[in-house]
Amino acid sequence: MVFPTKKIIRYLFALFFIITLNFFLPRAMPGDPVINLLGEDYVVRKEAIEKIREEMGLNRPLLVQYANYWKDLFRFDLGYSYHFRTRVSSLILSRLKWTFILVAPSLILGVIVGALAGSLAGWKKKSKGNAFSFFFFLFIYCSPPFFISLLFLYFFGFRLSLFPLKGFYTTGNWIDVLKHLFLPILVTTLFSASRNYMVMRGSVLQEKEKLYVWYARAKGHLEDSLLFRHVFKNASLPVITLFALDFGFLFAGALFIEIVFSLNGMGTLIYQSILSRDYPVLQGTFLIISFMVIIANYLTDWFYNWIDPRVKENR
Amino acid sequence: MKDSISNQKKYFTRIGGFLFILFLLVAIFAPLIAPFQFTDRFDPFLPPGSKHLLGTNDIGNDLFTEFIYGSRITLLVGLLTGAFSISIGVFIGLFAGYHGGLIDEILMGFTDIVLTIPRIPLIIVLSAFLRPSVGLMILVMSVLWWTSTARVIRSRTMQIRSMGFVESARCLGFSSWHILFYEILPNIVMIIIPEYLITVASAMISEASLSFLGLGDPSLKSWGMMIHHAFQRGGFLNGMWWWYLPPGLGVTVFVLSMVFLSFAFEETETGMGEEIVIAPFNH
Repeated sequence: MVFPTKKIIRYLFALFFIITLNFFLPRAMPGDPVINLLGEDYVVRKEAIEKIREEMGLNRPLLVQYANYWKDLFRFDLGYSYHFRTRVSSLILSRLKWTFILVAPSLILGVIVGALAGSLAGWKKKSKGNAFSFFFFLFIYCSPPFFISLLFLYFFGFRLSLFPLKGFYTTGNWIDVLKHLFLPILVTTLFSASRNYMVMRGSVLQEKEKLYVWYARAKGHLEDSLLFRHVFKNASLPVITLFALDFGFLFAGALFIEIVFSLNGMGTLIYQSILSRDYPVLQGTFLIISFMVIIANYLTDWFYNWIDPRVKENR
Repeated sequence: MKDSISNQKKYFTRIGGFLFILFLLVAIFAPLIAPFQFTDRFDPFLPPGSKHLLGTNDIGNDLFTEFIYGSRITLLVGLLTGAFSISIGVFIGLFAGYHGGLIDEILMGFTDIVLTIPRIPLIIVLSAFLRPSVGLMILVMSVLWWTSTARVIRSRTMQIRSMGFVESARCLGFSSWHILFYEILPNIVMIIIPEYLITVASAMISEASLSFLGLGDPSLKSWGMMIHHAFQRGGFLNGMWWWYLPPGLGVTVFVLSMVFLSFAFEETETGMGEEIVIAPFNH
């Protein structure tokens, strides 16, 4: 199996671009780079600023700073957050796992639910259930993620008091964590599912007109086995392509969902950093998220090549 | 093209068109429709009533007035971002598709790179450093939102470029600029319009999300900002749905109207003219 080198070069370019952008942002933006690198939450005297400037090497030539920036990155040093009083790298790592707990199950559930419902909707178009599912997912599809979260939290949390209103856990046992996670995972899953639903539905609509389907039908396959044994496999290819894009999208969407449900993951971290103008944390999160999206893209390409051997270089 | 559109599609397109024009009129004639000035202040935290249709917020602004005026900002950001990013996407797609070869490699490589960058986190970082403003948001989103358009336009241009009328124009010695903008462009308008609608929809959702984070223009109240205030200043916790529900539904319904409108331009040659297929968009 050959992996397209062109793609890898593009991903490396993207990574290089993002890192370089991240380096220049605090230095090129209006205001003192020292403040831009420390965050506005941190108030210091004039002399102290000069001392910090010296320490951080901000009076050195830009090229030297750039080289040092890369060196720091390879040591996984993303700077220090004065607001949270900890290293940015360890701060992000500690929050990242919570976001993963939210995103990973939602992504998988979303693909399963979306692909199944979508293929059924594309297969048998004239039914009440499909019309309902179409408009339901369309509504979700067209709404901002945080708004749906607000609605769900209001109805199921406040009005019906079925679920706790915030956080990941209160006591820390299994059932308690699950109860806290149910609503956020439900909302995230619905978002992921709505996208997969639309793509899968369109794909099945296109696929079911093809000749092999007619041939299989002529051989005497029943409709359901026709869908799931023949059409489904071919129609699910666009969903796999979408998976990588979806990862980035879902990650960004999950940030907003986290904020609404006060989950202590990356989204809430970004929100707190915006409120306190904590620039190192914001830059660190941007870098880490970009890195993960690129990895996801790479893995998807790899998986796609494996599952569909027709795809070679120059896809 | 018209006669191949099914009745169902026509129906949705009409609803979409009606809603779109309605929102547009509300935004344009906001000062005439709104019962008060958006700077007027009354008793805070009033529930909906006959005088204040949607009640008032924490500092006593009339929420219905705010909702009407908010449509202006949200629509402006969406429509302008759509226009700018479509222009970039069409340019890049046309050039890459028509010239092919090295130019295509470079332009599409660049498109892939931009596509990989996570948009929302980048905008968050940028708007945190700069003072948030509507202009900045439109600019940054336009620079990031054109990628899918470029890809679609490119593949269609590649199909068209080898057609007879383009070949003959080339033989007659027309410049490639002339061919691109007078021969090819008119033939892809039917793809550009739905791409525009989808881009506007995506931009509006993103604007709402960013404003919700408090990264919107503080001096101008968009729908996203209204929800931000409702969330931050106790409107949500006190169950004041009339504060955050209308702006949220406003965004959703407007996006829906864009999607409905785009039904009218769907591909009919693949034999799916009867069916409604929804193009994926990111936000």
